[in-house]
Amino acid sequence: MNTKRIYGLVFLVAGLAFLPSCNKYLEKEPDNRASLNTPQKVSQLLATAYPGANYVPMIETYSDNVGDIGSGDAGSADLNTLNADLFFFKDSRAINEDSPEFYWFACYHAIAACNEALSAISEASNQDEYASQKAEALVARAYAHFMLVNVFAKFYDPATASTDPGIPYVTEPERNFIKQYSRGTVASVYDMIEKDLLEGLPFLNDKSYSVPKYHFTKAAAYAFASRFYLYKKDYNKVIQYGLQAVPNNDFLSNLRPWNTVYSSIGLNEIAPRYAKATENANLLLCETASYWFRTVIAARYAVTPAVRDELLRDVPVVGGQWAFATGFYVENHIIVPKVNEYFVRVSVNADIGNGFVMVPLFTVEEVLFNVAEAYSYLGQSNEAMALLNTYLSTRIVSYNSSYNLTAAKISAFYGTSDIQQGLIKTILDYRHSEFIHEGLRWFDILRYKIPVVHTTSGGEINTLSADDPRRLFQIPATAKQSGVEQNPR
Amino acid sequence: MLLSPSDYRKICAKNIVWLPFFLLFIVFIFIFSNSYASPDKFQAPVQDTIPAKRITGRVFNLEDSTPLTGASVVNLRTGRGTTTSSTGIFFIEAKPGDSIRFSFAGKVAQTLAYTGEASLSVELSRSEGLLGGVVITGFQNLDKKKFTGAATSLKADDIKIPGVVDVSKMLEGRAAGVSVQNVSGTFGAAPKVHVRGATSINGENKPLWVVDGVVLEDIINISNDQLSSGDPTTLLGSSVAGLNSNDIETIDILKDASATALYGARAMNGVVVITTKKGRSGKPVVSFTANFTSQLKPTYNYYNIMNSAQQMSVLGELERKGYLNYNVLDRPDYGVYGQMYKALDYSTTTGTFSLQNTPEARKNFLLRYAEANTDWFDLLFNNSLIQEYSLSVSGGTDKSQSFFSTSFYHDNGWTIADKVNRYTLNFRNNYTFNDKLSVGFMTVGSVRQQRAPGTVSRTSDPVFGQFYREFDINPFSYALNTNRALTAYDSTGNLEYFRRNFAPFNIINELANNYIDLNVIDLKLQGELNYRFNKHLRFEFIGALRYVKSSMEHQITENSNQANAYRANDNATMNQNNKYLYRDPDHPDDPAVVVLPYGGFYNRTENSLVNFDVRNSLSYTNNFADKHDVSFLLGQQVKYADRQNFSNTGYGYQYDNGGVPFIDYRILKQTIEANFPYYDMTKFYDRFAAFYFNAQYTYDRKYNLYGTVRYDGSNVLGASSKARWLPTWSFGGAWNIDQEKFMEKFPQIDYLKLRASYGITASLGPATNADVVLKSSTSNRPYADERESVINLINLANDDLTWEKNYQANVGIDFGLFKNRLSASVDVYSRRSFDLISRIKTSGIGGEAYKVANYADMKSHGIEFLLNGQILKQKNYGWRATLTFGYNETKITNAQNVPLIFDLVKPEGGNREGYPVNSLFSIRFNGLEHNTGIPQFIDENGNVSKGVFLQDDKIDYLVYEGPVDPPFTGGFSNTFNYKNLSLNVFITYQAGNKIRLYPAFRSAYVDLDAMPKEFLDRWEMPGDEKITNIPAISDSYYSYVTGANGSYPYNNYNYSTVRVADGSFVRLKTVSVTYQFSNEALTRMKVFKNFSITAALANFWLIYADKKLEGQDPEFFNAGGVAQPIQKQVTLSLKVSL
Repeated sequence: MNTKRIYGLVFLVAGLAFLPSCNKYLEKEPDNRASLNTPQKVSQLLATAYPGANYVPMIETYSDNVGDIGSGDAGSADLNTLNADLFFFKDSRAINEDSPEFYWFACYHAIAACNEALSAISEASNQDEYASQKAEALVARAYAHFMLVNVFAKFYDPATASTDPGIPYVTEPERNFIKQYSRGTVASVYDMIEKDLLEGLPFLNDKSYSVPKYHFTKAAAYAFASRFYLYKKDYNKVIQYGLQAVPNNDFLSNLRPWNTVYSSIGLNEIAPRYAKATENANLLLCETASYWFRTVIAARYAVTPAVRDELLRDVPVVGGQWAFATGFYVENHIIVPKVNEYFVRVSVNADIGNGFVMVPLFTVEEVLFNVAEAYSYLGQSNEAMALLNTYLSTRIVSYNSSYNLTAAKISAFYGTSDIQQGLIKTILDYRHSEFIHEGLRWFDILRYKIPVVHTTSGGEINTLSADDPRRLFQIPATAKQSGVEQNPR
Repeated sequence: MLLSPSDYRKICAKNIVWLPFFLLFIVFIFIFSNSYASPDKFQAPVQDTIPAKRITGRVFNLEDSTPLTGASVVNLRTGRGTTTSSTGIFFIEAKPGDSIRFSFAGKVAQTLAYTGEASLSVELSRSEGLLGGVVITGFQNLDKKKFTGAATSLKADDIKIPGVVDVSKMLEGRAAGVSVQNVSGTFGAAPKVHVRGATSINGENKPLWVVDGVVLEDIINISNDQLSSGDPTTLLGSSVAGLNSNDIETIDILKDASATALYGARAMNGVVVITTKKGRSGKPVVSFTANFTSQLKPTYNYYNIMNSAQQMSVLGELERKGYLNYNVLDRPDYGVYGQMYKALDYSTTTGTFSLQNTPEARKNFLLRYAEANTDWFDLLFNNSLIQEYSLSVSGGTDKSQSFFSTSFYHDNGWTIADKVNRYTLNFRNNYTFNDKLSVGFMTVGSVRQQRAPGTVSRTSDPVFGQFYREFDINPFSYALNTNRALTAYDSTGNLEYFRRNFAPFNIINELANNYIDLNVIDLKLQGELNYRFNKHLRFEFIGALRYVKSSMEHQITENSNQANAYRANDNATMNQNNKYLYRDPDHPDDPAVVVLPYGGFYNRTENSLVNFDVRNSLSYTNNFADKHDVSFLLGQQVKYADRQNFSNTGYGYQYDNGGVPFIDYRILKQTIEANFPYYDMTKFYDRFAAFYFNAQYTYDRKYNLYGTVRYDGSNVLGASSKARWLPTWSFGGAWNIDQEKFMEKFPQIDYLKLRASYGITASLGPATNADVVLKSSTSNRPYADERESVINLINLANDDLTWEKNYQANVGIDFGLFKNRLSASVDVYSRRSFDLISRIKTSGIGGEAYKVANYADMKSHGIEFLLNGQILKQKNYGWRATLTFGYNETKITNAQNVPLIFDLVKPEGGNREGYPVNSLFSIRFNGLEHNTGIPQFIDENGNVSKGVFLQDDKIDYLVYEGPVDPPFTGGFSNTFNYKNLSLNVFITYQAGNKIRLYPAFRSAYVDLDAMPKEFLDRWEMPGDEKITNIPAISDSYYSYVTGANGSYPYNNYNYSTVRVADGSFVRLKTVSVTYQFSNEALTRMKVFKNFSITAALANFWLIYADKKLEGQDPEFFNAGGVAQPIQKQVTLSLKVSL
């Protein structure tokens, strides 16, 4: 009897005390991982909501900004393979830094950070305190999808956008090992981008950032909006948002001082400064794992002296010399000192490590061109020319007003009486020179269906025509696991 | 697909390995069938009609005359039985002529014919042979006759190797199916132990260690693969390093699902259960053991290294080829030539040239080095003296017993850089309050003080294809890698410095000024309580608290090369190239500056563990009608382990200057800008709870059933309730064939048992993302004011995450023949692991390109046997032999992981679908280039090339060599005795694995490096490629040819098909002679109860190994750092008890 009672008692204690308390006992996290329980922590997570990969190397090497120098070595077989594959418009075999696949993964990693943040915010009891975090997450999510759709899907064309396959637009955290996704259409992706962007933009708060230049400040988001609507050809909105991106419409003092300060400091000092937060022209900077610096200075397919002569010497239309500094580390590998590598060693004094490049994602220069282009399309050529003159005043060596842009000069230079067409050509040419090493040329090529011709030093000619399917970078093969089809070849 | 030549070799090798065992087996059988003698006549008990009366008696241990509690006493006529009380007393009804059977687990049962005595006194002796004993699982003590699982029980006294202090190292070759590879011989470094091979691809694959019923948690988790890294943390790799091996009574290795069932979800890799000694009642027995061991200095005879004259002639060739000219002074490292060019410089202090620049003067200068033939082994190693003293006192009464032991271990160091002291204490008391209640308390503690050469963790460098360790001063790898033309002392007898990292370097000075002091305190308090409600039902409690704290102080004084490298700033070249100088990113054109003007470093790493383990269980045993034995066990367990790791870099500590740190703020700035925290602290929380139920049933002592279910919960996968709980189960059956009637026809068979088991076990894989994993870090931005604290999304949540699991089936047979003169145990098993963690490339759309998930599967199977025989047994002499053999083969059936070339060719091997776990692959060597003698390979794209991109994931052109872990392992132990003298010869062997040879070839040699003698056969002129595979020596032309395109043919060569050897070996592990004083002698002396002297030689002879190894130990990974090979040693051991 006695034993049975004790037996029962022990059981009761075990059953009642342990089973429920066990679950509580086992709820302890196994390590000191972070949990998103304050607005500050959500903000810290959102510092990684920007693609940590550099899209510039792939689209720049695809564009008409590069040629065949005849020899070169970017320092690793991987980088050289990537460089050559891109130059010959092949699907890149390289999958590491600077490759299309690496960028794909990085964009979705950024999106996942946004979605984790949004999911944590939606579970918080005090949602008001998270307003600016929610806004940043939405805008950053829109940005990463925007880049993906422009790189990996067909460029937005109002006529076909609703049937062209887009890229998966992800709005919630993935919680399963393999999940199925749909590409949707370019139009649906653009709609989602617009929705997220406009929902987030009003609630952005520059004061919530510790290093604002690496986050979507209001100005950066306006710059993003100006680019978005430019690609969507909604010109009124380009102007509406573009003008808000630059404080007091003061473009002049926010442009890069190429013909003043930059001309007076050494070549070595420009690059470290170019992507620094203190430069007014930088609206949004992004930290990327990239060896773009090595490719720029030494890869075989890069800026040749011929490209320099074409793009970086004489200013089209108005004449005069570009104030862009050029030089080289390796003979014939021309650089404009814009790119700098921050090398993080694997241990304090190791010889090996990872390269990082800070990339300006949005700049005042781009906003200026976006707005000028919109003015041109809306027939406001004077406003457009005023902006372009502001630009030229910072770019031409020994600038004076005689270098100002006029309708007559445009007509004469392009042999056209259509001032709108002339202005757009002018803008495209200036953008071509201005954004060398920065990748934006590629999107102009897509927007205006410009063919790209790459000629090797041996005389072999490769052309990427206006409707070539290879204009869409290839989606990683593993995406098929998730039901995402690759682009046709 | 075609078989490659190496595959042919492999198949042949397999046959050769099998053959000797087969032959040996035949010989065994032959010997035993001859030595068989006729059996005793069996006598049946007699019955009559005398009335029964109540008789009493006591049951004792034969060995020490202590009473036996719980022994079973059965009157075979009536079938009634009882058990003895805590004092060994029993009462039973019997009448003269009855047969009374006395039995106890682990003892030889006795059946007495009762002849009418008033009381009986029975002594039960410890059973010999395999089936007499018990298997201690840590939860239960199981009678081997009823046991359905596969386990090996070893007595510590039988396997102890005098002079080997770490228990884990003693297991080599002792238990079939347990593979022990001594990847490092350093104190505290664990060997790589596999029980029946690997069960997991990326998991730890280490068995679970259990001491006295409590799992021994590791201070830091070091996986089996990391054990060979040589990193300072490997000094904490052995969980049992703090255990005094003299305190150990038995070691039970649990191998299959049935045996390990009660460890449920932690048992996948097998369990090693250590049981320590208990106090015994009686007069206090004092035992004292003293071991004196000397480890012998290595010599160059075993290694394939050029002597100084050969070395200087190769350097002379390099000089003529223009590779060793005046600009060696610009290099970070230099040796003899650098010394010469420096001497040619005008010295401003003496105002002269110390060396005239004439051919004669230069020749004379170099001649001193050519004739030096420095014996680095002699300079850096000692014939050490290791002293180990252990004292124990055991004694007590019926009601309380105590055991006390203490030991002191002192090793003055095999090298001039290491030293170990270890103190242990073990205090154990057992109290029996009454028939129902007994309790036990245990305090076990150890303190370790160890010195090791200063080292930092290595990093894997897939760019160059090597592992990289800065400032490595491991004496063994220094001796092997340093040019013998270098001298430690100059002609005046002072230390001679060459250059390393732009700073003066002398190994003797460096070892004195750059060292690690390791201190470990390990304390365990354990309590046990037993309450016996009645003779069937028992409650048991075990609770343990363990606290371990270790501190590792890496002391780098201001006189060390490592500190002076930060101050090497003599000229513009150094300023440009010395990476230890600081360059301000805001002023890229400014010269670099010294940021460690004074002092050295004081780097501290601390690890701590706080561990609670509590277990409550109820057990019920009963016997019905003498035919049905049943027992149940129901229990619950809770574990808690908190680990903390702290590390800190102390800059500018001035050892010679009152211990005051001098810190230049810029060294912190440099560290912060390089994005390294100068201190770091991480914590790990391990929470674990489990419930278990076990049932056993035996019918008529013939048929046994055993089944267990267990339900485990852990937080380690992440705080998500979905992945938390896991049920495991197993069942087994055994048939004691020898108990069957028909077996009476085979009197030569003492016992025969057939066993089978099946079950599922599990283990926690290396993934913790049942819930999302977010980690704080700092952004990688060049300017300090642009940096911010960020939270990285490390792993997405995986709702499907679960434990790694494994189905195991085991069939075994145990038998004893010829009065147990031959006993054997054979097991065949098959295991299927599933839900293994593997890293898979995904679509990346969720945000994680490479996910770890339960995706992979693998299979393994194997056979093992243990053969134990008394081959000769005469009055004065005898020969007893034990042979163990294990074969295990694994195959990854599904992984879809994406290994890089470097992951597969590195010495530790890698994992790939369709191949064994840890398979070694090679780059296919394609001869030397005709014009240059540079090696060529088949590259990742299938083309002939000088360079293979090791970071590529295109692995189709790699050549499979074989597994890194040996499929065949075992040992052969022989004990010969003549009167009081016994000789033990113990041989271990392994076969079937492949070894990557030392990476002896480099892209660039400096005049410091030692070259292997293979270089004497190198390519020297076009055409040589037809007769040699040894490439041309790398010179400036070679650098010119290969340097430009980022390929590293020499590094690739180290990972090619020509740099692989067979890992099979046969080693004479120990030879020992023991003299045991006879009882008569001891009685005469009157003082001692026991006295024995043993002399032993360990690791003296590698009987067989692949010739290609050229002195490389097939077990040892020369990883530098704190790694040392296992050493040849001589031991004298003295054992007395009073």
